[in-house]
Amino acid sequence: MSAVLQLNALSVSLPRGGRDVSILDGLSLTINAGEMMALVGESGSGKTIAALSIMRLLPPRARITGSVDLDGTEITALDERAMRAVRGRDVGMVFQNPLAALNPSRTVASQIQEAWRVHNGGSVRAARARALELLGEVGIPNPEARLDDYPHEFSGGMRQRVMIAMALACSPKLLIADEPTTGLDPLIARQIMGLIARLRREHRMGVLFVTHDLSVVEEHADSIHVLYAGRTVECGPAKDFFAHPRHPYSEALLGSVARVGQARLQNIPGNLPEPEARPRGCRFAPRCAYHQPECDAAYPPALPGGGTLAACLYPLPLTERISYAEPAAKPPPPNWAPQLEVRDLGVRYGNGAGLFRAASKLPPALAEVAFTLGRGECLGVVGESGSGKSTLGRAILQMIPYQGEIALDGEGFSGLRGAARRSRRRRIQVVFQDPRESLNPRIRIGDIIAEPLRLAGGTSRTEQRRRVESLLDRVGLNPEMAGLLPAGVSGGQAQRIAIARALAAEPELVVLDEPTSSLDVSTQAMLLNLLKDLARDTGLSYILISHDFAVVSYMADRIAVLNAGRIVELGDTGSLIAAPRHHYTAALIGAAPQLRPHLR
Amino acid sequence: MSDRLIEAPAHTGMPAAPLARFFGRLRPRGTLGFGLTLTVIILFVGFIGPFLYPPDPFAIHPAHALEGPSLAFPFGTDELGRDELALLLSGGLATLIVALPAAILAFLVGVVYGLAAGLGPVWLDRVMMRLLDAILALPSLIILIFFASLVTLDNTSLILLLGFISWPGLARLVRNETLAQRGRDFVLASEQLGAGRMYVARVHLLRVMAPVLVVNGTFMVGDSIFALSALSFLGLGVQPPKVSWGSLLESALDIIALDPWWLILPPGLLVFGSLLAASLTGQGLLARWGHNR
Amino acid sequence: MIRVVATRLASSSLSIVILVTLVFFMVHLTPGGPAYSILGIKATAASVAEVNARLGLDAPLYRQYGLWWWHLAHGQLGYSYLLSRPVGSLLWQYEINTFVFYTASIVISTAVSILLGLVQGVYYGRWPARLIGGLQLAFYALPPFFVAAILVLWFSVGLRWLPANGITNLRAEHPGIGSYVAHLVLPVTTVTLLTVASLSRYFGEAVQEELGKDYVRTARAKGVSFSAILFGHVLRNALRPLVTILGLSFPYIFTGGVIVESVFNYPGLGWLMWRSALSQDYPILIAIVLIIGVLTVLGNLLADLVNSVLDPRASYE
Repeated sequence: MSAVLQLNALSVSLPRGGRDVSILDGLSLTINAGEMMALVGESGSGKTIAALSIMRLLPPRARITGSVDLDGTEITALDERAMRAVRGRDVGMVFQNPLAALNPSRTVASQIQEAWRVHNGGSVRAARARALELLGEVGIPNPEARLDDYPHEFSGGMRQRVMIAMALACSPKLLIADEPTTGLDPLIARQIMGLIARLRREHRMGVLFVTHDLSVVEEHADSIHVLYAGRTVECGPAKDFFAHPRHPYSEALLGSVARVGQARLQNIPGNLPEPEARPRGCRFAPRCAYHQPECDAAYPPALPGGGTLAACLYPLPLTERISYAEPAAKPPPPNWAPQLEVRDLGVRYGNGAGLFRAASKLPPALAEVAFTLGRGECLGVVGESGSGKSTLGRAILQMIPYQGEIALDGEGFSGLRGAARRSRRRRIQVVFQDPRESLNPRIRIGDIIAEPLRLAGGTSRTEQRRRVESLLDRVGLNPEMAGLLPAGVSGGQAQRIAIARALAAEPELVVLDEPTSSLDVSTQAMLLNLLKDLARDTGLSYILISHDFAVVSYMADRIAVLNAGRIVELGDTGSLIAAPRHHYTAALIGAAPQLRPHLR
Repeated sequence: MSDRLIEAPAHTGMPAAPLARFFGRLRPRGTLGFGLTLTVIILFVGFIGPFLYPPDPFAIHPAHALEGPSLAFPFGTDELGRDELALLLSGGLATLIVALPAAILAFLVGVVYGLAAGLGPVWLDRVMMRLLDAILALPSLIILIFFASLVTLDNTSLILLLGFISWPGLARLVRNETLAQRGRDFVLASEQLGAGRMYVARVHLLRVMAPVLVVNGTFMVGDSIFALSALSFLGLGVQPPKVSWGSLLESALDIIALDPWWLILPPGLLVFGSLLAASLTGQGLLARWGHNR
Repeated sequence: MIRVVATRLASSSLSIVILVTLVFFMVHLTPGGPAYSILGIKATAASVAEVNARLGLDAPLYRQYGLWWWHLAHGQLGYSYLLSRPVGSLLWQYEINTFVFYTASIVISTAVSILLGLVQGVYYGRWPARLIGGLQLAFYALPPFFVAAILVLWFSVGLRWLPANGITNLRAEHPGIGSYVAHLVLPVTTVTLLTVASLSRYFGEAVQEELGKDYVRTARAKGVSFSAILFGHVLRNALRPLVTILGLSFPYIFTGGVIVESVFNYPGLGWLMWRSALSQDYPILIAIVLIIGVLTVLGNLLADLVNSVLDPRASYE
C-alpha cells in the first residue's frame, strides 16, 4: 500500500486577542490509497482546521508548521500558484451544507465543468461530457436532464452528491470530506456515507472523513483518529478502536452516543477547555474519571496496545470491553392515566395567503393523527424533515391553527379565549432545538427563568430570585449564572436554561422539539440524562420530537413514526424496535446507530 | 459557515464589575468617539453659542456689507452688512429647535406604526403597508416640498411636517423586524408562558430591537436636519426674517458670482458637520452592537 | 415569472392610485383652495367664485376627482393654473432634460460604484478599503446644496472652467452639443458624488460578504484562481443587492436631484416642481407627483426583472 497523505507534526495557530493561540497541536497521520480515515472530534477539537490546513484554505493570518506530504510532494513548501494546481486536481474536497457550498447562481454543470477545466483545459463540450459522466457516477437519476439545473432545485442529499461529483472531477488521489453528512436526514446520510465508501474503493482514493459523530463512520471507516482540544488522543484501525477503545475519552465518547437499545448514556462532566486555557498535561485530565496526579505533568506519549495508539498514561486494559448498562429491559408500560388526547388532527399550511394567490394546493402537513399520551409518559415522535413532526409539536402547543381535537386532561382548547386559554396553554411547555434562538439575547439568565413567574404574577421579587436559584441548581447549573446574558453561556448550558424556564411554569407536559440535535455528543448525553431524571422525579410527561431514532428510543416509552404527515406506526419502544411492522420504520431503525455485537 | 473556522467555545466568565463596564462604555474611540465629539460640538454651537456671542444677528451695518472675516466680524458680513457669525449661531438654534423635536416625533410615529402593523391582524398589516408603500413611492423631499407649499410655515408646522413625513422608512423597518422577531423561538416560548402581545412587544421585541432603533433614531436626527436645511434652502423651510443654515446658504448662492466664500463654507460645513455627527454616531453604534444581535 | 410581474404591477398601481388620491384631496381640502393661491389672500369673494368657475373648482369634490381621472384616461394631466397650458405638453421638455440628467448620473454612479466596491470588498480591512470607507462616510454626510455650491465656487467662479447656470436659453442660442454637455458636468458630478457614496458602500459590503461565503471556499478548493472567483462567482451574486438598491434608491437620487436642479437652474422636473411649489401651481405638482411615483415603481420593477435574470431562485418565489 502506498501513502497518499502523510501529516507530520502539523500544528496550526491563529491570532486571537493579540497573541497566537494554538488550535491544532502536532497532528501526525498517514492515509493510504483506498483507505478511509475518520478524523473524529467534538466542536473545538481542531478537526476542521486540520482538514483546511492540508488544502491551505485557512485565513492568511493562520500559522501552519509541520509537514504535509501529499503522494510524495511536500506541499507546505509550495507557493500559492503551485498550491492552486494541487487543489481540486490531487485533492478533492466536500463540505458540510452543500446549499451554501455551491454557487446559487450557476448551474451544477457549469460548476462541475469549472472544476475539470481549471486543471485540464479543453473544450466546454468535453467538460460537459465529463460532468454528465460524474453526475451519473454519484447516482443522480436522469443526469442529462439535471445538468442545467441550479443547486436550489436539488434536494439536500442530491446536492451533496453534486458536491461529491465536483470533488471527483479530476480523479483526485485524496478526498477530504468535512462533515458531509451533518444536517442530512439519517437515511440520506447513510446513503451518502455508502456512496463515499464505494467511490473510495472504485477509485482507490484515500479519504479523510472529518466528523463529530462516531456512529456515522463506524460502518465504513478503515482507521480512526480521535482529536480532543487540538491533540490526538487515540488512533488506529477502526475495528480495534470500536472493539476496545483504550483512551478514557474515546470510551466516554463512544458511551455517550445514543444507540438503539441502550439503557443509560455515559456523562462526560465539564466542558471542553478553551484554546487559550488548555491544561499543560493531558487535556482531558480535568474531565477524566481515571484522573491521576501524574496526568497533569506533561502531555502523555502515545503508547501502542491492542492495535491502537493511545495518548494516556493509564489506558484502559484490553480485557475490559466498553461497558454499557444492560440494554432495554424496559418495564412494560404501566396503565397510564390519559393526559393528552389527540383526535383526528389535521394541519394545512398556506390557506388563501395572498390577495392575488389562490388557496394552496399543498398536501396537508398533518392528517388523521390520533394518539393518547399517559401521565408521566414519554412519547417519541420520529420522522425525516418534512414529515410533519415539528408541526405536530406546534399544534399540541396551540401555536398554529388545526382541525380535529387536542384535549388536555379531557378538556379541549376550542372555544377558549383570553386568560382561560392562556392559562391552559401554560400547562404545556416547550424546549426548542436551537438553544441560542430560544433565549432573548438581551435579557439576563435570571430574568429569563423568572419570566414564567412574572407572567403568572403573585410572586415577590425575593421569592422569584429564590425560585430561579433553585431551578438553576435543579438543571445542574451554577446559581451565579443568573446575572449573565445568554451570549456568555455554552449551547448545552443555554438548553438547560430553556429547560429551567419551562419548569418554572410548572407544566404537566413538555414538548421537546429536537432538544439535543444542535449539541455535541457529550453535551447531548448529559442533557438527555437530565431530562430523564426530571421526568422520574416530577412525573412530567414528554413529547420528544427527533429525527434521531437512537435518541428517541433511549428516552421514549412509546414511539410514533411519522411519514408525510401521517402516523405510520405507533407502539411500545421495545416491540417497535424488535419487530417493526412498517417498512419505513424498519429503514429508520436501520439508519440509526445500533449496539453492535463487537461493542457488547 | 466560515465562522466555523474559529470554533470558539462560548466563554463562561462572569460579567465584569459594573464600574469597569461603565467606564468601558464611557471611553468610546474611533468612529463612535468622533461622532459623539462632533455631536457635542454641534449642540454647543446651536444651543449655547447664541448666548456666548451677544451681537444682534439682524443689526445692519451698511458700511461693512459683504466684507470678509475681520476682528470686528470674525466670520465676515453678508450683503446687507449683517454679522455672519451671529447669523450662523441664530440659524443653528432655529435649525436644531425644529429638527430635533421633528426627529423625535418621527421616531415615535415610526415605532408605533411599525409595531402596530407587525403585531396587529393580517388585514391591518396589509392596509398599513399599502399606505406606507404609497408614501414611500415618493421621495420624502418631494412630499415635503408639496406639503410645505400648502401650509403656513412656522416652527410648529415645520415640526409636524417633518415629523409626519420622515417616519415611513423606520416604520417599515420596525414592522419587518417585528415580523421577523415575533416568530423567533424565545417569543414563541414567551407566548407559551401566557404572554400577550403588549408584553411581547415591551419585553422582547423592543429590547431586541433596541440597538436597531437607537442607530436608526440617530440617523433620523441627521435626516431631519438635512430635510429642514434642504427645505430652507429651497425657501420652503424656516421663513424670513428668521434665518437657518439652509437659508443662509441659499442667500449666499444668489450672489455667488461675487465669490463670497465666507458666506458659503460656514453654513455648509455646519450642516455637513451635523449630518456627519449623526452618521458617524449611528455607524459607530452599529459597529459596536451589530455583531451581538 | 409573468404572474409575479403582473402581481407586482397591480399592487404598485394601487399604491400610486392611493398616493394620487391623497395628494388630490390634500390640495383641494386646503383652507382657501387653489383660487386663493392664484389670487392671493386678499382676493374678493366674487373674484374667487369667478376663478373657481373658470377652473371648474365649484363642482363637488368627488366630481372633480372623477374628472381628473377621466382626463388622465384621455392623456391629459390637467391645466396649469398660472401658465394656462396643458400640463402634459408643458412637462415634455422638462422630462427630457431630467431623463438626460438622471441617465448620465446613474450610469456614471453605477460604474464608479462597482469599481470602488470591488476594491473595497477585495481589500477589506486594509488601507485601500479604509480610505474608500472614510470617503464614503464623508460624502454620505455632505448635503447636495453644499457640494453644488462648492463646485460652483471652485470650477465656475474660481477657475471659470464650467458654466454654473442651467440650459434655459439653450434653444434660442442654438448651442452645440458641447455646450449642453458642459452645462451637465457640474450637476451630474454633484449627484454622482453623493450617489456613489452610498451605492459603492452597499456594493463593497456585498462583495465582502459574498467573498466570505462557503461557495468561494469550494471554488478555492477546486483550484480556481482568485480573479476567476471574483469575476466568475462573486461579481454576479454581489450585483443582485446592488440592483435592488439601485431600484429602491431612485427616490433618494431624485431628492438630491431636486436640489441640484434648483441650484444650477437646470430645467428638469425637480426644478419645475420647486417653482410650482413656490407659486402653488397644483395641477403641475400633482402631475409631477404622479410621474415620479410611476418612475419609482418602474424602477423597482426593473430591478426585480434584472434580479430574476441574475438569480435563478428569484423566479421561484
